[in-house]
Amino acid sequence: MTILGRVVATELRPSTPHQFHFWTAAGAVLGIGAIVRVEGEGRVVFGVVTEGFAYADLPRPLDAVIGADGDPVQAGMEPTLRAEIRLWSAAVLRQLPEEPMQPVPFGAVTAASDADVLVALRMDAYVRPEGSTGIPVGVYTGGGLSAPVFLDADFLLGPEAAHLNITGVSGLATKTSAVSFLLTSLFETFPASKGSVAAICFNVKGPDLCFLDQAAPLGEADLALYRRLGVHATPFADVTVFAPYKADGVNLNTLRSNPAITDRVEPLVWGLREVLDYAEVLLNRDDVDAKAGAFIDFLAERVVGKRFEAGELRDEPFAVMTFADLDDFFRAIFDFLEVKSRGSEVWRTHHAATIRKVRNRLGNIATRSKGLVTDDGPANDLPWGAFRDRSVTVVDVAGVDPLAQDLVFARVISKLREHLERRDLGVDHVVVFVDELNKYAPLDGPETYVKKMLLDLSERGRYLGLVLFSAQQFRSQVLRRVTGNAGTTVYGRMDSDELALPGYATFSPAVKAKLAALPKGEVLVRHPHFTQPVFVRFPRPASLSGREGIERFPPAADLPFADAVVQRLKALDAGIAGDAVRAAIDGRPEHEVRRALGATTQRRPEDVLAFFRSCLRRSVVAEPVAPPRGVAPLARDDGDPFSPY
Amino acid sequence: MPGSPFTSLRRRLALVGGRPASLAAEAAQGRRDQAGYRPSRLLEGTLAHHPLGEVVPWTEPVAFLDGTQHVELLGYVGTLPLVAAVVRAAVRQREARRMTLAVQSVRRVVIAHEAALAVFGAALDGHDVLVLDGDDAPHPIRDVERAHALVDRTRGALELAVAREYRLRHPDAWLLVDGTLTASPDWSRDPHMLGVVKSHAVLPFEGEALEQYLTLPYAHRTSLFQPGSRDVAPVYAWGLRLHPFAGQDLFHGLVRIEAAATEATVANVDRLSCHLLAERAPRSADPRADRLLYGIHDVERFLRAQGG
Repeated sequence: MTILGRVVATELRPSTPHQFHFWTAAGAVLGIGAIVRVEGEGRVVFGVVTEGFAYADLPRPLDAVIGADGDPVQAGMEPTLRAEIRLWSAAVLRQLPEEPMQPVPFGAVTAASDADVLVALRMDAYVRPEGSTGIPVGVYTGGGLSAPVFLDADFLLGPEAAHLNITGVSGLATKTSAVSFLLTSLFETFPASKGSVAAICFNVKGPDLCFLDQAAPLGEADLALYRRLGVHATPFADVTVFAPYKADGVNLNTLRSNPAITDRVEPLVWGLREVLDYAEVLLNRDDVDAKAGAFIDFLAERVVGKRFEAGELRDEPFAVMTFADLDDFFRAIFDFLEVKSRGSEVWRTHHAATIRKVRNRLGNIATRSKGLVTDDGPANDLPWGAFRDRSVTVVDVAGVDPLAQDLVFARVISKLREHLERRDLGVDHVVVFVDELNKYAPLDGPETYVKKMLLDLSERGRYLGLVLFSAQQFRSQVLRRVTGNAGTTVYGRMDSDELALPGYATFSPAVKAKLAALPKGEVLVRHPHFTQPVFVRFPRPASLSGREGIERFPPAADLPFADAVVQRLKALDAGIAGDAVRAAIDGRPEHEVRRALGATTQRRPEDVLAFFRSCLRRSVVAEPVAPPRGVAPLARDDGDPFSPY
Repeated sequence: MPGSPFTSLRRRLALVGGRPASLAAEAAQGRRDQAGYRPSRLLEGTLAHHPLGEVVPWTEPVAFLDGTQHVELLGYVGTLPLVAAVVRAAVRQREARRMTLAVQSVRRVVIAHEAALAVFGAALDGHDVLVLDGDDAPHPIRDVERAHALVDRTRGALELAVAREYRLRHPDAWLLVDGTLTASPDWSRDPHMLGVVKSHAVLPFEGEALEQYLTLPYAHRTSLFQPGSRDVAPVYAWGLRLHPFAGQDLFHGLVRIEAAATEATVANVDRLSCHLLAERAPRSADPRADRLLYGIHDVERFLRAQGG
């Protein structure tokens, strides 16, 4: 074990139980974030370097000028190099024995070995040959070492602590890459005894998470990192991308639209029932006053999805299943108010103005969220109750209206909660990855439904197995209770203005300087087991990044209606003949075709084309009608302009 | 006495019935010369100022020698004083601009009358004992002064020893000594040894020559001269101004250089002066920085950092 340096302590810089200082030779291989070991007085202390100083015996800068006759060139040619010091400050990671806790002894300082790193970061408590719960997060590379660093699964997915939050500037792909690699690592090393796990990733910008199942080319350095961490460098095997339709209702609103890889893309379509429970997400406080809220509750409880009898409106009962049905229902109410009740303004205690307001607002949802919300077609939802172990579900909402994004977040997270509470989701743990917390859970701004959902998830999710992996650019601008509940915190390259804020006061200036210039693939990790945060390097994800994916699989242009229908059906059955589909839909109204396509996508029948055809309304072939046979007119008067003959 | 290297000795003294004292001895700071004149013989005609050419640093390894002494009055046995000292000497060699230790030596001594030392007995383990002898009756103040003189001699001997050891390993390397070469015939004969004398208590000239000597301009040397009364170890010497003295003391930046009394010294005095002038940088972190070469300062600081 090579001695790197020696602990020094002076009255002004004493050793304490939590900090110490040591000096090294000028050429010592050491840097900020390096883990060192001090041995002395029967104790071993591990520390992480947090600050470095260098100075010479020069009492005043002016002495250097005088010594060099004012010539900087001469200063570099002085026959003797000045005595200088490399002085380092280190924060104590662990002391052995842990009690009694004492100031760090004046011992020799050596670089930590692999085994030392394990002990220093207290990983020995959960990385064991028998029953390890360690999840590789990266390698510690200080002091020329390459030691794996593990997170504790119990503290990453619960129940001890949970959630992970990552901060970093945009554009370096650090956040997405880190989460992508960590999910790979989690899926491979999460102990079977802890149950099953799946991930739901919200893709909120560009193509970031659209190609998680596509293999990325990896260099030898990355492969070596994978080997060191004991993780296979393979993309996710079980990925499904859900994306809403575009406004045309047949082309999917995703950048993963290259025909070569659309087989794993599913439409995300919700109907009235799916949306109405989350009306609060879509309607602001001004929209939903107490009266409107009561009427919406009435609709949700009594009308939608049920057989609703209202003899005063019409004889046969209402069966409101879609927005179109709902509109019929509203029309019936207004007809009743205007005609049958001769201008009355109240229907079943609900004022006409309230009913009109609710009709407008709900109608607006289908307009603003067109593609996600269908007027009259069947819904196609995430596989609630059938989530598979180690599966990744990407919900691509990058291209949709912010209102629709909010709806998607709220509903997906609520449904996850419901199912996990009932233990019928299909998996025991779900990791939800949400980027752009600055947008969805800002520190300031109005109390939105999404914000409340994220807060609830971060505060209570771990008891259910619902874990939030979140990311943002500016941690200081995110709701503190969301970031504060994250047991594991990761910092990528940071903006120096952000680092200057009081929230980062626990970092030394040197650590801040390193964070401000952190290379891609390196992050600072804070974990409940680690007394101090530690820098780790992680390999490039084995999946294509969004940018690479777009280059390799350029998005297809929007197809004409008929071609898009063909493509959607071919995704269900590659053997379908395009001409047969075109013939089937020729001349039919688009809304009818969309409904049939939705039903086919939802049902996934054996004979796709036959089922699709059966969903189309029966067409009535126009036939020329011969003049009615019968008794010939008694007289024919060509001068009579009203004569039918 | 906080930080004293002799705390345990004082405890032992108390245990054997002595009276520990806690005053630092006056001589702890080091050797002192008495002011005076020692007329010298000029070797280059009249005393003149010789401008030096381009400053040229030594490219070959150069070594620096210095010693330190730390003296304390331990206390008394009866009225007999006991003086303790730590004496160190070292040679540090410069190679590729970096200083590294070549040789070092240390002596820890206790000085007193035999009667006082007898009381201490075995408690002095680990320390050399120097006995104050002579016919004079013990005198608490005079005995301390004599002890100081013994420490000076011990330091001188230690410096000679480390120089000898260094020479055995590096016979031809330049060795620069803090102080005079006249301490030893070996030194004064050594063709690769230079003494750098900062003290001007003993001046080589009087009258107009002295004024000429003390007004030497920056980056000039005086004519060579041979200091008087140096029969045992004769040397050649010259004055050298390392830093401008305008607006400062007359002695600011002025050192006396001593070298072997040989023709080679006469031939190389300018070249050696240019080398020495290069040694004025970097400037030492010391109040005597105008005359203290950084290499010597480095050795002194190294020795002081060794503690007691």
